[in-house]
Amino acid sequence: MSDLLRVTIDGRDVEAPKGTLIIKAAQDNGTYIPRFCWHPRMEPVGMCRMCLIEVVTPRGRQLITACTNPVADGMEVDTKSETVKKAQEGVLEFLLINHPLDCPVCDRGGECPLQDHTMAHGPGESRFVEVKRHFEKPIRISSLVALDRERCILCARCTRFSEEVSGDPLIEFMDRGNYTQINTFPDHPFNSYFSGNTVQICPVGALTASPYRFRARPWDLTAVESTCSHCTAGDRITIQASQGEVLRVLGVDADATNRGWLSDKCRFGFEFIGSDQRLRAPLIRDAGGELREATWSDALAHAAARLDEIKAVRGGGGLAVLGGGRGTNEDAYALSKFARVALGTHNVDCRTGDDLDPGFLAATVDRAEINDLDRAATILVWGPDLKEEHPTLYLRVRHAAQVGVKLVVVHPRRTGLDDVAIHKLTYRPGAGGELLAAIQDGDHPGVSEALAAGSVVALIGKPGETEDPRLPEAVATFLRGSHQAKLLPLARRSNIYGALDMGLAPSLLPGRVSVGGRGADEVEAAWGAMPSARGHDFDEIIHGLSEGDIAGLVIVGCDPVADGPDGSTAARALESAFVVAIDLFLTDSSRLADVILPATGFAEKEGTVTNLEGRVQKVNAVVAGPGQARPDWAILDELASTMEVDLGLGSAEGISKEISVVAPAYEGVTWELLDWERRDGVVVPLIGQAPLEYVPAASASKSVAGEMVLHSARTMYDDGVEMRMSRSLHQLAPGGKAHLHPDDARRLGVGPESLVEVAGSAATAVLPVVVDESLMRGVVYVPSHQPGVPSLGRDPVVTVTRTS
Amino acid sequence: MSEHPEDSHTLSRYEATGGYIQARKALELGRDRLVEMVKSSDLLGRGGAAFSAGLKWSFLAPARPAYLVVNADESEPGTFKDRQLLERDPHQLVEGIIIAAIANEVHNAFVYVRGEYAKPARRLQRAVEEAYAAGYLGSGILGSDYDLDLVVHLGGGAYICGEETALINSLEGQRGEPRLKPPYFPAAIGLYGKPTIVNNVETLSNLPHLLEMGSESFHNLAHQADTGTFLFSISGHVRKPGNYELPHGPTWRELIYEVAGGMRDGSELKCWIPGGASAPWFVPADHLDLAVTKEETARAGSMLGSGAVIVMDGSTCVVRAAERVVRFFAHESCGQCTPCREGTTWLEMILRRIEGGQGRMVDFDLLLDVSDNISVGLAWPPKMTTICPLGPSAVSPVISITKYFKDEVIGHIEGGGCPLGSDQHAGSAA
Amino acid sequence: MTFWSEETMSRAQEIVARYPRKRSAVMPLLYMAMAEQGHLSDEGMAEVASLTGLTAAQVRSVASFYTMYKPAPLGTYLVSCCTSISCMLLGADQVLEAIEEEAGVPHGETTDDGLITVEHVECIGACGGAPAVQVNYELIEGVEPAKARGLVQWLRSARPTVVNTDEMQGLFGGKTSFDWAIKEEVGARGPFPAFSPYGLEARE
Ligand SMILES: Cc1cc2nc3c(=O)[nH]c(=O)nc-3n(C[C@H](O)[C@H](O)[C@H](O)COP(=O)(O)O)c2cc1C
Ligand code: SF4
Ligand code: FES
Repeated sequence: MSDLLRVTIDGRDVEAPKGTLIIKAAQDNGTYIPRFCWHPRMEPVGMCRMCLIEVVTPRGRQLITACTNPVADGMEVDTKSETVKKAQEGVLEFLLINHPLDCPVCDRGGECPLQDHTMAHGPGESRFVEVKRHFEKPIRISSLVALDRERCILCARCTRFSEEVSGDPLIEFMDRGNYTQINTFPDHPFNSYFSGNTVQICPVGALTASPYRFRARPWDLTAVESTCSHCTAGDRITIQASQGEVLRVLGVDADATNRGWLSDKCRFGFEFIGSDQRLRAPLIRDAGGELREATWSDALAHAAARLDEIKAVRGGGGLAVLGGGRGTNEDAYALSKFARVALGTHNVDCRTGDDLDPGFLAATVDRAEINDLDRAATILVWGPDLKEEHPTLYLRVRHAAQVGVKLVVVHPRRTGLDDVAIHKLTYRPGAGGELLAAIQDGDHPGVSEALAAGSVVALIGKPGETEDPRLPEAVATFLRGSHQAKLLPLARRSNIYGALDMGLAPSLLPGRVSVGGRGADEVEAAWGAMPSARGHDFDEIIHGLSEGDIAGLVIVGCDPVADGPDGSTAARALESAFVVAIDLFLTDSSRLADVILPATGFAEKEGTVTNLEGRVQKVNAVVAGPGQARPDWAILDELASTMEVDLGLGSAEGISKEISVVAPAYEGVTWELLDWERRDGVVVPLIGQAPLEYVPAASASKSVAGEMVLHSARTMYDDGVEMRMSRSLHQLAPGGKAHLHPDDARRLGVGPESLVEVAGSAATAVLPVVVDESLMRGVVYVPSHQPGVPSLGRDPVVTVTRTS
Repeated sequence: MSEHPEDSHTLSRYEATGGYIQARKALELGRDRLVEMVKSSDLLGRGGAAFSAGLKWSFLAPARPAYLVVNADESEPGTFKDRQLLERDPHQLVEGIIIAAIANEVHNAFVYVRGEYAKPARRLQRAVEEAYAAGYLGSGILGSDYDLDLVVHLGGGAYICGEETALINSLEGQRGEPRLKPPYFPAAIGLYGKPTIVNNVETLSNLPHLLEMGSESFHNLAHQADTGTFLFSISGHVRKPGNYELPHGPTWRELIYEVAGGMRDGSELKCWIPGGASAPWFVPADHLDLAVTKEETARAGSMLGSGAVIVMDGSTCVVRAAERVVRFFAHESCGQCTPCREGTTWLEMILRRIEGGQGRMVDFDLLLDVSDNISVGLAWPPKMTTICPLGPSAVSPVISITKYFKDEVIGHIEGGGCPLGSDQHAGSAA
Repeated sequence: MTFWSEETMSRAQEIVARYPRKRSAVMPLLYMAMAEQGHLSDEGMAEVASLTGLTAAQVRSVASFYTMYKPAPLGTYLVSCCTSISCMLLGADQVLEAIEEEAGVPHGETTDDGLITVEHVECIGACGGAPAVQVNYELIEGVEPAKARGLVQWLRSARPTVVNTDEMQGLFGGKTSFDWAIKEEVGARGPFPAFSPYGLEARE
C-alpha cells in the first residue's frame, strides 16, 4: 500500500504504516523501547518519559518520546545512543526515589516492568537520601480493588481507562506536583463493572485485585489461553492456576473481540469453579426421596433404565432435553445427538423461554462481525443494556462512538451508552411495535437521518424479559429492507450460538440445518433415522411435563426454576417427571432431579465455542474437575451406551472432527487450525455453507393496555448460579428494586425506599422503590434474577400497589 | 502606555485620548490586512517566548469557531507588568482584544486572569462592562454586524496555567496540565479542540498603538535595540523597582544603575536574573556591559523572557536565593511528567540541606547530575526530558550558582551552614 | 438535594450558560461553593459536579490541582505572605515570622477563634513593592514586619466584614510596584477573590 513509510531504527531500515507511533513501529520490528504510561489501546499521554529516544533531524538530534510521535518518511531513530541511555536511566531513577521497593511482598513482584527495568539498567544503591513520599498503605477503593499510592508511578493508565474506555471516571489524579496521587472521591468507591482492567494494566503493584491479593506469586502459576464463558462475545482470556486451583483470569488483546479488556464478571466470575458446593459424585434419589451418593455405574444404570421405560411406553415424544447452552460445541453436539438418536425426540431446547427464535438467531446470514462496529457509519442498539448484559460489546460500541460512528440507542430506560449516543429513544415495553412504525414513518427524523448516513450495524435483541420476541425480528426486517444493515442478534447464555448450530432446538439440526429442510438428509445419513414427531420448545416442554405428556427429562447445565420466566410452574413440572440432571451444582432445578451426574465446567475441559458473530474459538483446560466430575459429552455417550445406543463419541477432538463432517456450516473447522494459525477463531461458515433459511416476523404485536407495564432485565451481577457461587461478585448484585417514574411514585404516594407490591403474571414481589426519571410514566423497572426475588413473568401488564 | 492619567482606566478618559478608534479601523481592515500589518510590524509576544504575533495569527487553522484566549496568568517571580496594564489601562487591553478578535475571525474571547489578581480582574471586568454598554462588545459591535463576546475568567492558583496549553485545559475546566506539542498547538487544536490564539496581555495592549502609528513606525520603535516597546519589571535590591519601557536599549549597567536608580544604600551588585525566574543568572564580571537585547542575552546563555529583572546585592546568600527559585518551580510543577515532578523536588531538598548545613560534598555533583536528567547537557536553550519548559526552568538557578558561586556553595557544605552568617536573611527591608 | 441559596443557584446557571461547554464553569463554581460555606466542602464539590455534568471525583481532581480552593475549614481572614525570591530578598521571611508570631499559628494553620489563617505563598506579582501580603486576595505592598503585626492586630480588633486593598495599603503598606492611582471601595467578604461576576464582590 502507498502510505507505508520507510524509517531507520538503530540503523535498520523498516517500514511502517502512516500514523504509526515510533514506539509501535520499533516494537513491530523487534526493538523494545521501555515504557510505562503508553498502552496500545489508549491515547498516548507521554507522561512517564521512559520512552525518550533520539531522532536525527535537519536541526540536529532531538530527544523525543517514542510514544507520542508518529514515524515520518525517512525518519532516523536512535534508541541506543548515550544520550538516550542517560535520559532513560535518569527517568528510571526519578521513578524509584519515591518507590517503596517492597517487591518481595508485592503482587506484581516477578511481572513488574519497573522491577525488570531496575534489574536491567537501574542505578545501584540510591543517591536519594531524603525522606520518601509517604501515603497511607493500601486503601480499598472498591470491594474488588485496592490502591497502594506509594507504589504508584502516576502513569495515568487507570484514570485514562476509566475515563476514555469504560466511561466511568471514578478514579482520578488528585493534588499536584510532587503530591499528585490517584484517588476516588470520599465515599464514592471505584464501582465500575470494568475496574479489574485497571489492575491488569497497572504497570506496577499499585492497583491490586482483592480476590487475587497475596494468593500466589506469578512464577508458580500455570497458564492457558481460552475463551470467556460469561457472555456471547467470545472474549479471549488467559486462565492462570496454581496447585489445581484457578487463581486469576486476564484479558488477551484479541483484535477481533475484547482487545484486552474484560468486565469484572469475566475476570472475577471464576470463583464458582473452586466452590466447595461443586458436585463431586453422582447422586440418586432413594425410595425415601433422599439424595444419596452413588457410583457412576449405578447412577447411569438407574437413569438409563427409567429413560428406556418411558421411551418404551410413550416413544421419544415422552422425553425431552433442556440446556446445553453453556457448554462447548462438542458437548452440545453430543446432547443434540443423544436426544435424537438415544431418546428419539426433537424435544430439545437450549433456551429457557427468554430468547429469540432459534431460527432467527441461527439463520442470520447478513451477520456483522464485531470489528464492523468501528467501520460503520451508524450503530443501532435496540436490545439489552449492553453495559449490563454484554459488557465487552459495550466497550467496543463505546469505542466506535468515540471514533466518530453515529450511535442510536433504543431502550425502555437509561443505558450505559446514552452519554455517547447521538439519539436515544425511550419507550414503554410492549409499545416497541408502534415506536418501530413511527420510525418507519419518519416521525424520528434524526434517527432516520442517522440510519441513512451509510453502512449500518444493528445490535438487536430483547431489551427485557417482557418484550415481544417478534419485535427484534421486526426491527431486523425493517433494517434489512431499507438500510442493508448488518446484524448482531443478541441472546443470553455464553454458547447459545454454538448450541443452536449443534441443533439444540426442536426445529434445528447440526450445521444450521432445519429439521426436514435442506441438509437434513446428510445429518440423517450420519445419525440414522430421525424422530418423526415435531419437537417442542422450552415452554411446550414445561407445559408437557406439567400435563404429564412428557414424563422424562434430561437437563444439562440448565436451571428452569431459577432461570425461566415462571419458576414455580417449572418446579412443579420437574417434580412431576423423572429428571436426570447433568450439572456442576445442586441448583434450584437439579436438586429436584432423580439422578444427578457431576460435570466438569469452565477451565476444566477442552473444546470449541461459537460467539455471536459465528466465530468459533477454542476453550482449554488448566485444572482437573472436582472428584468424579466428567465432561457432558462423555456422560451422555456413556448414558447412551448404557441404553445400548452407541453414539460413537470417543473424545472431544473426535467429536469436533465429526461436527466438521456432519454440520455443513462447520466444514473445515479443526482444533489444529484454532490452536495455531487462528487463535482468535474463525467465523463460520468458513468453507462450508449454512442451508438454514428463516423468514423473520415483519411486525410485533400491538401495544399492550394497562396502567403499569413491567420492564425487567438482567444486571451484570445477579443470583444466577455461577454468580451465587462466586463470593466476590454475588455481594454486588443490586438486589430487588422497583424503579418508578417520579410522577408514578407521587401518584402512588411512595418515595425512595418505601415498599410497593408488584404483581406480575408469574409471581408477586414486595420491593423497595427507586425513583428513576429515565423511565417513561407507567413503567416499573425491576432488575431480574436478584437474590430472593422471583421472576415476575413475561406478561408486561402488572399492577403496582403501595404496601401499608 | 507610559504616562498615566489618574483616570486612565475609565472609558470616558480612554475615549478622550482616542480610544476605540483603532478597533473601528480594524473592522475596516479585516483579517488579511490586519495579519499582514501585525506580521510586518514584528510585534513579538510578551509572554516570554517572544514569538511573532502576526506569524502566530497567520498559522490559525481554517476551522471555525476559533477562539481568542488572553493570557493574564502572570505568575513568574519578578513579573508584574501585566498587573499594571490590567489595573491602569484595561480599555487599552479590551481594544487590543477587539482588534485581535477581528483579525482572527473570533467571536468568543476569554481573558484568563490569575485568581490572586482580584483587583486587576475587577478593573478589567468594569472596563468590559463599560465596553459592552458602549457597544464595543456584544452583538453587532461598533454598529457593525460583528459579534464579540468577552468573558473574564479567574484562575485558581497555579503558575503552570500560564503555559498556553495548560491554560486551555484549565479554561476547559480540567487540571492545568500542559498538553503535548505536537499535536496540541493551539492555533491548530486549542480550546475545545478548535483553532485558538493565545496572546499575552502586554502583546495585545500594543495593538491599538500599532494600528495608530502603522506597522512601519511601530517596527522601527520596536527595533530600537529590539526592546523598544518591551516592558521590564525590575525588582530586588535596587532603589527604584518598577515597570519600565526602554526605548534606547541600554546596557545592564545603565538599566541597573540609571533606570532602576542603582543598588539600595550603595551596596555592591552580586548578580541578577535577566529575564524571569526561569532564566540563567548574570554576574557583573561577565555581563554588566552587555546590551539588554534578545540576541546578546541569548548569546550569553540566558534570555529576557518575560522581562523580569531580579537584582541581588552582596548580602544575598545565593544558595538560599537558588533554593527559593527552585522551590517555586517544584511547588508549581503540574506533576504529570516524571523528571519535573520528582527532579525539581529533589533539587529543592538538596539545596535546602546544603543551606541548612547538612550538605555533603557529593551533593555538588548530584545537583548537577539531577539537573542534567531534567535538562540534558545543561544546554541553553534547554534540551528537555519533560513535556513543557517548567521542569528545565528549575535547573537555571542550580547551573548559575554552581558556575558563578562554587566557592560559596562549597563553603556552605564545608562550614556546615551559610558563610555569610547563619542569621543572614538577605538583609531585611528595614 | 442542593443546599445553595436560590440566588446562588440561578447565578451558577448563568455562569454555566456563559461558556460554550458546561465544564468550563467548574472553577468559577468552585469559588461560589467556597463562598457558600467558607471553604470547599465535599457537598460543595458534589454540587459543582451535578451542575457541570461531571463525577464528584473529576471535580475533586480539578479543585485539588489549584491552591486557592481550600478543602479544609479556614479563617475569616486568609493572610497570605509572599516568600518568593523578590520578596525574600527584601525580608519576606521576617514578615512571615512576624505574622505567624502575632497570629500565634504557623503556616497553613488557623487561629482557635477561627479568625485568621496564615500561609506563605509563591509570587503574587507584587515584586516591585516587595515584600507583599494579601488578605483574602486583597493586596498590600511594601509591608514591614512591624506593619505586618499591626495588620494582624487590626484584623483581630476591627474585624472588618469587608477587606479592601486600598484601605489596607493605606494602613499597613509602603512602597508599591507602580502608582496605583485609582481607589476602590469594594473588597472581599471571605477567603476568596472579590469578583462581581461570581457574586463575591462586597461593599462595606
Ligand atoms: C511554564 C510556563 C509559564 C508561562 N507563563 C506565562 C504567563 O504567566 N503569562 C504569559 O503571558 N505567558 C506565559 N507563558 C507563555 C505562554 O505559554 C504563551 O507562549 C504566551 O502566553 C503566548 O502569548 P504571546 O505570544 O503574546 O507571548 C508561559 C510559558 C511556560 C512554559
Ligand atoms: S515539565 Fe513539569 S509542569 Fe511541565 S508538564 Fe511536566 S510536570 Fe508538568
Ligand atoms: S511511555 Fe512514552 S512517555 Fe510514558
